[in-house]
Amino acid sequence: MLYLLVFLPLMVFLARRETTLLVQLSVLVPFLGLLLAPFLLGTAAGPFRLDGVGLFYLLLTDLIYGLVALFARGYFPREEAWRFYWAGAFFLVSAHGAYLAHNLGVLWIFVEGSTLASALLVYHKGGARALEATWKYLMLGSVGIAMGLIGVILVYALVGGATLDWGEVRSLVGEANPEGLKVAFALLLVGFGTKVGLFPLQAWLPDAHAEAPGPASALLSGTLLNVAFYALLRYTALMQAAGLFPFASGLLLAFGLLSLVFGALFLFGQREYKRLLAYSSMEHMGLAVFALGLGLPWLALFHTLAHSLSKTLAFLGASGILALSHAKEVGRVGGLVLHTPALGVPFILSLVALGGLPPFPLFFAEFKAVEVAMKSPWLGVPYLVGLGLAFAGLLYPMAQMGFGQGKPLGGRGLDLWLLWVLLLLLLLPGVSPPVEVFKALEVVLWKP
Amino acid sequence: MALLNTLVLAILATGFLMVSRRSLDAIIRLYALQNILLALVSFALAGGEVHFIVAGLALFAVKGVLIPWYLFWLIDRLEVSHEVEGYLSVSLSLLLAGLLTALAFRVGKVFVLPEASLPQGVPVALALVLLGILSMVSRKKAISQVLGFLALENGVFLMALSESHGLPLFVELGVALDAFAAVFLAGILIFRIKGEMGHVDTARMRSLRG
Repeated sequence: MLYLLVFLPLMVFLARRETTLLVQLSVLVPFLGLLLAPFLLGTAAGPFRLDGVGLFYLLLTDLIYGLVALFARGYFPREEAWRFYWAGAFFLVSAHGAYLAHNLGVLWIFVEGSTLASALLVYHKGGARALEATWKYLMLGSVGIAMGLIGVILVYALVGGATLDWGEVRSLVGEANPEGLKVAFALLLVGFGTKVGLFPLQAWLPDAHAEAPGPASALLSGTLLNVAFYALLRYTALMQAAGLFPFASGLLLAFGLLSLVFGALFLFGQREYKRLLAYSSMEHMGLAVFALGLGLPWLALFHTLAHSLSKTLAFLGASGILALSHAKEVGRVGGLVLHTPALGVPFILSLVALGGLPPFPLFFAEFKAVEVAMKSPWLGVPYLVGLGLAFAGLLYPMAQMGFGQGKPLGGRGLDLWLLWVLLLLLLLPGVSPPVEVFKALEVVLWKP
Repeated sequence: MALLNTLVLAILATGFLMVSRRSLDAIIRLYALQNILLALVSFALAGGEVHFIVAGLALFAVKGVLIPWYLFWLIDRLEVSHEVEGYLSVSLSLLLAGLLTALAFRVGKVFVLPEASLPQGVPVALALVLLGILSMVSRKKAISQVLGFLALENGVFLMALSESHGLPLFVELGVALDAFAAVFLAGILIFRIKGEMGHVDTARMRSLRG
């Protein structure tokens, strides 16, 4: 059954290039995934096994994928939709595979697979800018992930070259040479960190997110970054099992803070709103990595949930704005809240959510992290400064796009009601954060 | 052991030559040769295990034959000059390659694990990784960046062989499949870059900034 779950998305190819059928299957597949996956919790088959953390990310990915696939129906002209759904199916296979992998080698294979599939998403229709972004993404992503593979090899050798099975490695890693493990973790952090978009390894991220078609950007930011982050979670748990968490923590906190501060600073120079959202992803993945470094995996998980929902909403809103206004720059879009409320209200609220204001869940996540980080001012003060910068960076686009000068946007057949569904989904964990659920997931991740 | 030492040194030599040569055809042939040498190392380390030999043969078929053949086909179809254009002169590339190799041998000790099956291969593997990155950043043509990536990937493969007896068979094959898919995808992109911009010079792709 687990094999079925991994390869379920290939069903989409039954539709060939028939757009209507492609949409139906692309929504049906994640729906089946959502129904099927909870019953497979705890089962194992070959190198696959589903535990709580994997299930959480699998459900999140399927939920977002289903919504994005439905939204994409109105976004793409009929004759080019198949490219998106085909590349999306490959992407969903690799995401499923990564979350189900119970073997560190297989995990690596599927993470690299998700890079290749998402390169197709970025490329979509071509043109000089998309080609440049795809090329950069493919080269940087592949080199980064090759560093990660060296890390995997070192871990394999350190446990005696016996096994790459996640559970067995975790029980063996306590006796492994700690110096070797530190080298391995540093390489793994650089490798998967390139894909997470940590500073200074983020060079591909703004280009890829900005040049991909809107629904693809939503998938890149809302689901793809999580795939690599999930791998980091697993390896941090491995370090913890080896008693080396303090070392891992130092690296994670440093990379997290740098990504937060630089991501926030980059927000100020951006004229295009999709690039702005891309740098905001870098900043929020930095925050999630920081929470992990603080030794709060539950908070890191919660942060990625909140970020995925807000950023999917933001990118879908942005693709709506782009489709209706054909303007990429912040300054050329205005008055959305008054003129086009069905699109403008959820989009502006997604920026509010990304800025970390209540009642949205990122506020709760950032507040909890500040509480812990403040115990040492060296961490807490730069963290607060970064948060402040990030919020300030979003203020002008929020004001201009929401209330500034601008024309009303003419309608086209976009499913704007989906934005309101996402907004509702985003509000739920903000109003009552399911902390207990996430603490239970932390136990699954942290303790054998 | 003498045979293994010779093979490892020969692999290092192919890595060095790949950085210094200026003809794409020569670099692709060196890459093919490097894979034959790697396959020989893995056979020498196999110690009679059959699945190991199967994996070696499969990798040889994919990386020693299929990928070089695809690259030759690609540069013929592209109708661009087979010369490599770089930012650095040959002598400067060689000097940098020498420095990077020295660095790899200097820091290689950190990476050698007590259980390593071929300790002398580890610094060479690291050198191949660094030389691959050097080719990627110092060359302008998209296809020579792909070759740099492939050399880097071979370094990772040699690392797996040297630290332990290579990764498990199905992981090894999955990794090779990913590498092949990446090269295939890069090939398609190169065609599109040529069609869209009339050149395959990544140094001139400069529209995305900030």
